[in-house]
Amino acid sequence: MKKLSMDDRLAINKFDSADETPHIIVNCLECKSCTHKACLYACPAERYRLNDMGEVLFDHVGCLECGHCRLVCERLYSSSMGYSWNHPERGRGVIFRQG
Amino acid sequence: MSNERFQVIVVGAGLAGCSAAYRLAKAGYAVLLIERGKAAGAKNVSGGRIYSYALEALMPGEWHDAPLERQVAREMLMLMTDEGAVTVNSLFSQELQAASYTVLRSKLDDWMRKKAEEAGAMVITGVSVTQIIMKGGKACGVLAGDEELEADIVICADGANSLLAAGFAGKVSTETAALGVKMVVGVPEQDIQDRFNLAKGQGAACLMVGGCTKGLAGGGFLYTNKESVSLGIVVDSAALKGSQVRVVDLIEQLPLHPAIAPLVKGGQLLEYSAHLIPEGGIGMLPTLYGDGFMIVGDAAGLVVNSGATVRGMDYAILSGIFAAETAGKSIAAENFSASELKHYEVMLRQQVIKDMKTFKNVHAFMKSTPGLYTTYPEMAESIFKNIFTVDGRPARRISKVILESVRRHCSFWQLIKDSIKGGSAL
Ligand SMILES: Cc1cc2nc3c(=O)[nH]c(=O)nc-3n(C[C@H](O)[C@H](O)[C@H](O)COP(=O)(O)OP(=O)(O)OC[C@H]3O[C@@H](n4cnc5c(N)ncnc54)[C@H](O)[C@@H]3O)c2cc1C
Ligand code: SF4
Ligand code: SF4
Repeated sequence: MKKLSMDDRLAINKFDSADETPHIIVNCLECKSCTHKACLYACPAERYRLNDMGEVLFDHVGCLECGHCRLVCERLYSSSMGYSWNHPERGRGVIFRQG
Repeated sequence: MSNERFQVIVVGAGLAGCSAAYRLAKAGYAVLLIERGKAAGAKNVSGGRIYSYALEALMPGEWHDAPLERQVAREMLMLMTDEGAVTVNSLFSQELQAASYTVLRSKLDDWMRKKAEEAGAMVITGVSVTQIIMKGGKACGVLAGDEELEADIVICADGANSLLAAGFAGKVSTETAALGVKMVVGVPEQDIQDRFNLAKGQGAACLMVGGCTKGLAGGGFLYTNKESVSLGIVVDSAALKGSQVRVVDLIEQLPLHPAIAPLVKGGQLLEYSAHLIPEGGIGMLPTLYGDGFMIVGDAAGLVVNSGATVRGMDYAILSGIFAAETAGKSIAAENFSASELKHYEVMLRQQVIKDMKTFKNVHAFMKSTPGLYTTYPEMAESIFKNIFTVDGRPARRISKVILESVRRHCSFWQLIKDSIKGGSAL
């Protein structure tokens, strides 16, 4: 089996993402004070990345909706200011055809 | 409130929700099933192997038409190191009532949704329930979009990452969950039969321990479907968070492992998915019912991790049946209070919770025995290597080879301690 990059892998999935309204919200400025940044290694879709300045960037498009970031991130877990985790609305988001 | 009034509203069209809605509709009740995905199964993931006794209990005989993939005939257990593996491989002829089948959930769940609809349930998809409406401490409906929908009873079947059950049942956390990551790899039907040594229609189930999780509590799985292979890992969430291991590395390396690569050779990735698995077991069981509501399936944490397999699909179905029967009873009695709905827990205790008790120490054993994922697979590999290595040096008795390998990899005392712990837990 060929090795695929994350982008190629996600491109095989079917998504109907709402570009304007992310279902997960994180405050990248506040993330600077996070000591573990577990989202970076615990997200199976690599939706959390560091930019050149060492800031956490989040992209909700391509999210597999597993909910794991909600568990490993205390701020998402407790919905603290600037952080929230919800299901995409109206059936948007990932559409698994195999499951 | 809208005019439409239902006797029961079921939230979530996974196996648990579809089962509850199907049974209620069959019994003639006005039931509404609400699913957040565009279709039932569009958001759902399993390994997966389903035990058919639960389908038989749900819809005797009729489940034979369900889109199941292959009947599991070959069971494999791989003790994996980074470079190799020792595999135990056995072929069983299963009695039909004890049979298990490989499944792909997007197909199965949609078929179940159709069955519920045919039986008379009303189904809405593409709508998320955002709240359970409580009045005077009793659940009396749901908020879906801008609409308030009323019902005598609400059944919460919203899965492992339940945002609704969290309100009364306690939230799932890193301590009570594992993460599953999965690839479905397209492989031609005949190649699957050749590679796994199977007849047409027969399937293989393979579990892996060791190298595939880099020593973290969890394991790998492989199931053969008709024309694809489901390949993935399950890792304990707290262990992963503590280790700083990149979960993507684990899943990327799995198909490249020398023991796995030939099995998926030439395969095309068809889908990449991930999902939570409740793993708290009996010690973490949440509230299962209350005034006007019941919680079923993964949302209620009804999963057994028996050390070798994750089992949640059969329990999801059974809990759906039990909740439907309890709802019927309480509608007949016109009593929707917790004291009436307690019947649901009584039914669960007789079957599902009983199993969970049997395996209650397994989760703790697996988390607290790191050797299970590192030392023991290495030891098994070295024993096999030494037994089968013929290099012209003087031959040694097999018992001696085993003893040497054991000594090299761990202390006898540790081995004895772990086997006593494991013996009583597994
Ligand atoms: C990787 C992996 C491997 C597994 N392997 C196996 C296996 O081999 N055998 C086995 O028996 N079990 C296995 N399991 C466990 C099994 O998949 C689950 O126990 C089972 O799917 C539970 O069914 P459920 O109906 O309770 O939940 P789900 O199937 O998760 O269904 C919940 C439904 O609710 C919907 N929903 C959620 N929130 C809302 C809302 N607010 N409004 C409307 N709808 C909502 C979801 O979209 C979903 O359709 C595995 C799980 C994983 C992740
Ligand atoms: S774990 Fe949460 S707070 Fe920490 S960096 Fe990630 S998103 Fe930000
Ligand atoms: S829900 Fe899962 S896939 Fe989506 S961002 Fe969070 S961890 Fe990543």
